[in-house]
Amino acid sequence: MAHAAQVGLQDATSPIMEELITFHDHALMIIFLICFLVLYALFLTLTTKLTNTNISDAQEMETVWTILPAIILVLIALPSLRILYMTDEVNDPSLTIKSIGHQWYWTYEYTDYGGLIFNSYMLPPLFLEPGDLRLLDVDNRVVLPIEAPIRMMITSQDVLHSWAVPTLGLKTDAIPGRLNQTTFTATRPGVYYGQCSEICGANHSFMPIVLELIPLKIFEMGPVLTL
Amino acid sequence: MLATRVFSLVGKRAISTSVCVRAHESVVKSEDFSLPAYMDRRDHPLPEVAHVKHLSASQKALKEKEKASWSSLSMDEKVESLCFLLHKCGFGEKWLNVAEEGAADLCACKWLSSLPPVYRIKFKESFAEMNRGSNEWKTVVGGAMFFIGFTALVIMWQKHYVYGPLPQSFDKEWVAKQTKRMLDMKVNPIQGLASKWDYEKNEWKK
Repeated sequence: MAHAAQVGLQDATSPIMEELITFHDHALMIIFLICFLVLYALFLTLTTKLTNTNISDAQEMETVWTILPAIILVLIALPSLRILYMTDEVNDPSLTIKSIGHQWYWTYEYTDYGGLIFNSYMLPPLFLEPGDLRLLDVDNRVVLPIEAPIRMMITSQDVLHSWAVPTLGLKTDAIPGRLNQTTFTATRPGVYYGQCSEICGANHSFMPIVLELIPLKIFEMGPVLTL
Repeated sequence: MLATRVFSLVGKRAISTSVCVRAHESVVKSEDFSLPAYMDRRDHPLPEVAHVKHLSASQKALKEKEKASWSSLSMDEKVESLCFLLHKCGFGEKWLNVAEEGAADLCACKWLSSLPPVYRIKFKESFAEMNRGSNEWKTVVGGAMFFIGFTALVIMWQKHYVYGPLPQSFDKEWVAKQTKRMLDMKVNPIQGLASKWDYEKNEWKK
């Protein structure tokens, strides 16, 4: 989860997110360099004592400032596409969870090895204990094993929602009548938070997602799969 | 008079053009836009028309004198002619023949008061005059600060009369328990919150 007033990305909990953080740093550095260059040029324009405004015939310069941005764009596109295809790699998930969005809660279905279905509502403010995370904590978390590829099937029962967990680099729209799929592998145990990311009505801000990632051995003992 | 000086704090055409003009003495009201016009512009050093269209008698006499051999001009007139023409074109004192001492005195940094009639027929303002700064920035900065201050008053009023109380989770004890819980959960342990906590000594890292 983010701390208050956090602006940057959260630390990665999956390999894809690690790649995304690196890509973000790369793209941001390019952006900063271009912005700095433009601001410098603007500063020069505003403070020059030169007065000739009838400059024309600068074909060499025009060629350079066309080719160079094209090269920069290629340098951004290549890592971007690499990560895009990485997210679609076939990795034989060990577990499939269904996540169904409703107004205004999530339903999770563990149907691989049994029939566990439950709802996940945000804890109302009056039900919070001191130290709880307001607007983030839920009554029933999604318990999952670490270091195992997990497939999430995401859909909605009424309007558009979006299932997002920033630290895993996940955001997938929940669309009524459609099954969207996303996969991830968590590298660290812990509790990870996300919030509904598609406007869905009055309580759109009050239907968070909480994943509890635990070691596989403990998960296999069946704390989740026995009701 | 005082009003005119006040208006110099404003831009050249901010409120009433005529009043601002009288303060700045540089902006000209134009007549017919289809005719070549005189303009004092940094990037247009030699305007299409002279500043003074209708010469007075003394000005006409001066122009006649200029047409004749320049050796008949007095030292003052000759030097002034050359100096201010070069200065208008931006060359300044560099091109002055320092041997002519009288000229050195004339040209040395006193363009404004010493520019002679021949110059003023052709040009309204010298480069130094047209490029001079104004006091407008004081008005802008002052105005911006005033409105920022006013906004602060509005926000104070809102906090007192409009907003409700903050939720419980903003209480100091709650935040402390919440932070402890986040540290126990090892939230962002690589570069974020938990990475700043020393788990052995149970305190924030120095």
